[in-house]
Amino acid sequence: MSDPVLTEEPLQFGEGGRLFGILTLPSVPFHRPPELPVFVFFNAGLLHRVGPNRLYVHLARDLSRMGFGSLRVDLAGRGDSPSRPGLANQLSVAADYKEILRVLESRLAPGPLVLGGLCSGADNAIRLTPKDSRVVGLLLFDPVCSPDNGFGTRAFVLRYTNTARYIAWLKRRFVAPSTEPREDKEEVDPLGIRDIPTQEQLRTAFESIREREGRVLSVFTQYALPYYNQAGQLGRVLGVDGYQQFCTELFWPNAEHTYTLDLHRRRLMEVVRTWAGGFIRSRTGTND
Amino acid sequence: MHEAFFFGPDNQRILANYHPAAGGGGQVLTVICPPLFSDYIRTQLALRELAISLAERGQHVLRFDYGGTGDSFGEIGEVAVSDWLEDIALAVREGREISGSSVVRLLGVRAGALLACRSVGASSAVQRLVLWDPVPDGAGYLEELRRTQVALFKRNLYLSRAERREAMHEYAGYALSERMLEDLRLVDASAYSRVPKGMLHVVSTSSAAGFPVQGVPQDVAPFVCNWDTLANANEVFVPRPVLERLIACLTRS
Repeated sequence: MSDPVLTEEPLQFGEGGRLFGILTLPSVPFHRPPELPVFVFFNAGLLHRVGPNRLYVHLARDLSRMGFGSLRVDLAGRGDSPSRPGLANQLSVAADYKEILRVLESRLAPGPLVLGGLCSGADNAIRLTPKDSRVVGLLLFDPVCSPDNGFGTRAFVLRYTNTARYIAWLKRRFVAPSTEPREDKEEVDPLGIRDIPTQEQLRTAFESIREREGRVLSVFTQYALPYYNQAGQLGRVLGVDGYQQFCTELFWPNAEHTYTLDLHRRRLMEVVRTWAGGFIRSRTGTND
Repeated sequence: MHEAFFFGPDNQRILANYHPAAGGGGQVLTVICPPLFSDYIRTQLALRELAISLAERGQHVLRFDYGGTGDSFGEIGEVAVSDWLEDIALAVREGREISGSSVVRLLGVRAGALLACRSVGASSAVQRLVLWDPVPDGAGYLEELRRTQVALFKRNLYLSRAERREAMHEYAGYALSERMLEDLRLVDASAYSRVPKGMLHVVSTSSAAGFPVQGVPQDVAPFVCNWDTLANANEVFVPRPVLERLIACLTRS
């Protein structure tokens, strides 16, 4: 059940070993193309480092089989890392990031990084990117975005042309009432409960990646529907020059925020593998 | 303070978090057998807090992830119940070795309770089993996971027909092997009844929850866990009243 092509090591690091993470490395490092970035995965909300439905574990191991190292970390106050009393979230994350860089440099040669995460993990990656010139990639699952001009119209069309919605309504109307408790869904603003980066921070992060000749993958799920409803919306809202040359933006309204279904997780892995392969191609000078 | 490491044979690396007893001594080791799937995600923080509290009270504690779950190696589709029983036995052995304890207590949470009781024959050092909201049996648990899958389909109006067909075989979003399904169906309530009653203690979060074996002490620590709904499937909770009851059960002499 272990994997002969990768090794994993639990790391306790930072002041007093208070931070915890798992470092995943290819066990045959000489096969690695030079200067491949190391991925750092930030917690999704309060979930610990394995990610929702083990998403980060699978990503770390898949990437390792391609030659990438990674660290999936518990930021202070999540998983196995105790909180930093008296520090607000962003200051605490910034302090954690310094420790992350220190431990990575102590274990690996200094090199480029890809920051990634889901939800608040994406928010943290976005905020940290402009401040660190080593960051050449962003892996963003349900990042923040603003509605664009056509958002309202598209939302209306999406809502009222979805036949499944009518079928569900008919079932509720005519089929015998279920004895199961109904999950009443309140209309909640998903961004209202997040410490989201500003539009300016988001744009600066993307511009930083462009200047460093890096790459960004953004994947939006049905969670984002209250603020995002069309592939390409993020690019339009940001208006960053050359966006399409270095950014991949996907919209999966059929997938849940935490990729609850195995089939969606598998699909996401495939997309990430293909996207990450771009780093190998750009460093080895191959096009395929 | 805790120490994390992988243990077990090369083909079965298991991640453990060991919390040594405060003050150095400590004769008792508690091994935490975690729950599965979304229950595991939701309780990770609570079980860590519980481990810290027990260590502060002078017990050694070992937390671990079963093969194919959490940070341990393997895929969920490759493992079966027998592998997880072996993982528990390995965790007990590893915990005893690292702590030097001769007295072992197991805490089993939800499906982890069923596994802990099934495993108990493997180690004569196990002196007590505390079960938090134990699932009644393997077949019932699988049914619960299937109901969750159906609820997932219902709430996902945008799923295509092809996706629904593809995900039809999943259990609460996980693709389980045939071997795992067969194994789980075979783990019935006798897993509990085989354990001497004097060794068992149940902590339930609802007074409506029954336990298949009569005469086992059962405490109720009211807390809305919603184990069988998807509403909070990826939300972390730390149910203080439950943790207090568990600590009381695990630390009484």
